[in-house]
Amino acid sequence: MRTYELVFIVDPRVSDEDVVTLIQEYKQMISAGGSEISLEENWGRRKLAYPIDKLTEGKYVLLGVTSQDGKTSLAEVEHRMRQNDKILRYLTVRTDEDLKRAARRKPAGSGGPESGIGSGTGSGSGAGAAEAPDDDDVEIGDQP
Amino acid sequence: MTMSRPRKVFFRRRKVCKFCADKIDYIDYKDVKLLQQFIPERSKILPRRISGTCATHQRPLQQAIKRARHLALIPFTTD
Repeated sequence: MRTYELVFIVDPRVSDEDVVTLIQEYKQMISAGGSEISLEENWGRRKLAYPIDKLTEGKYVLLGVTSQDGKTSLAEVEHRMRQNDKILRYLTVRTDEDLKRAARRKPAGSGGPESGIGSGTGSGSGAGAAEAPDDDDVEIGDQP
Repeated sequence: MTMSRPRKVFFRRRKVCKFCADKIDYIDYKDVKLLQQFIPERSKILPRRISGTCATHQRPLQQAIKRARHLALIPFTTD
């Protein structure tokens, strides 16, 4: 099973209804390609971190796609987005591998990091010598 | 005995990888608030030697920042 996330930014001048029909269109394409829509988020109007095509805002849409057999029509969807100049940006990310890796790390790394921190703070026994390093630093600092 | 050789003792705060400490395993490119902590003023990616992030987490972090940049969630640079 493969999961994907598809984010795209629509021109803010496009009306909300048109954005919805656009989403519908892409969703249809995705389900026609044999995968399911697992997630749909419309973030709405958002300020862009930098201007794209002289626009400072964009409408963000996030779609989650799940494919059982690994076959998707996402390449086709991307192709369509590229041709549509109402779409400022799009990004498709495959997420199942990273999420699986993260899930595997979770049970294993439960006690490890904490013990490491504990040993680090234990070395503070030489607090009396705290003055010395300051002098050393001065010596090390570039003085002609 | 130990004083025979001047030993330089540095006291520096031990840096801990934020993702190890907070147990964040999947670094999401959509989590702008989290990523923002690793992009200082100039919007460059904060190096490991400064942030203390471990290599295992710096790699996905870098990937996430680059994805977020592409989607204009965070800037490439500030002018």
